[in-house]
Amino acid sequence: MTKQDEHKEGIGGMINPRRYGIERIAYLLMRLSGLGLLAYFIGHIYETSSILKGQVGWNEFLELTQTNEGHAILAIVIGMCVFHTVNGIRVMLGHGGVGVGKPSRPDYPYDPASQNIRHKIGIYSAILLAAIATLYGLSVMFGE
Amino acid sequence: MRESVIMKIHYGTALAAVALVAVHILMRLTQGFAESLEYDSVITNYKFLPYAGMLEIILILISIHGFNGLRVVLLELKQGRVYEKAVSYSCVVAMIALIAYGSRTIIMVNTGMV
Repeated sequence: MTKQDEHKEGIGGMINPRRYGIERIAYLLMRLSGLGLLAYFIGHIYETSSILKGQVGWNEFLELTQTNEGHAILAIVIGMCVFHTVNGIRVMLGHGGVGVGKPSRPDYPYDPASQNIRHKIGIYSAILLAAIATLYGLSVMFGE
Repeated sequence: MRESVIMKIHYGTALAAVALVAVHILMRLTQGFAESLEYDSVITNYKFLPYAGMLEIILILISIHGFNGLRVVLLELKQGRVYEKAVSYSCVVAMIALIAYGSRTIIMVNTGMV
């Protein structure tokens, strides 16, 4: 049986977080948080349209969303939003050449200059800030 | 449109959306969170023209950014002339539909049709 080329693994290869270090995890989280935020955004637009049904319609929809489960989902959305923002700014800076290091001759062990400590700190900061924002969101929503 | 131009739009909409969404969230925190979601409070927000205008801009920015992001993710998974065109046009249609649906809410409430 021939070994399958890792570049032909499709979605499985795309979402496999076990290779390439924290950068691959950031790549995966960026896409998951992006898709999650898009789903939330579509839901939010639909949710807010219930105001067109008047006070009764609005309150009925609020009853569905202002629950413990609704608050927990919103807290996850806050976390996704903060991670996506902070990591997105890191990616933008990287694409602009900020913090990616100077070009140099590729010598063994071929460490990519762009995957340096500055960007790793950026990724860990994004995860940490997302966790803090999630906890803050929970404290605001469950504190009332 | 060239992908480099699309990515500039993607980053531009992201930065603008971050600033405006921050204002949108801060507006929720000027009152208590639950209080800010009360019907009268929400209607007052929508009827305040600058705020309604900001919501419309946020709607457009996030729709463009979100659906282009979805397009990028789908194009990373699979390539091909027909597939790429189908994904791109579907995302544009979905984006326009969402902007139209959200704008309907903003315009109807702002103009007092509710």
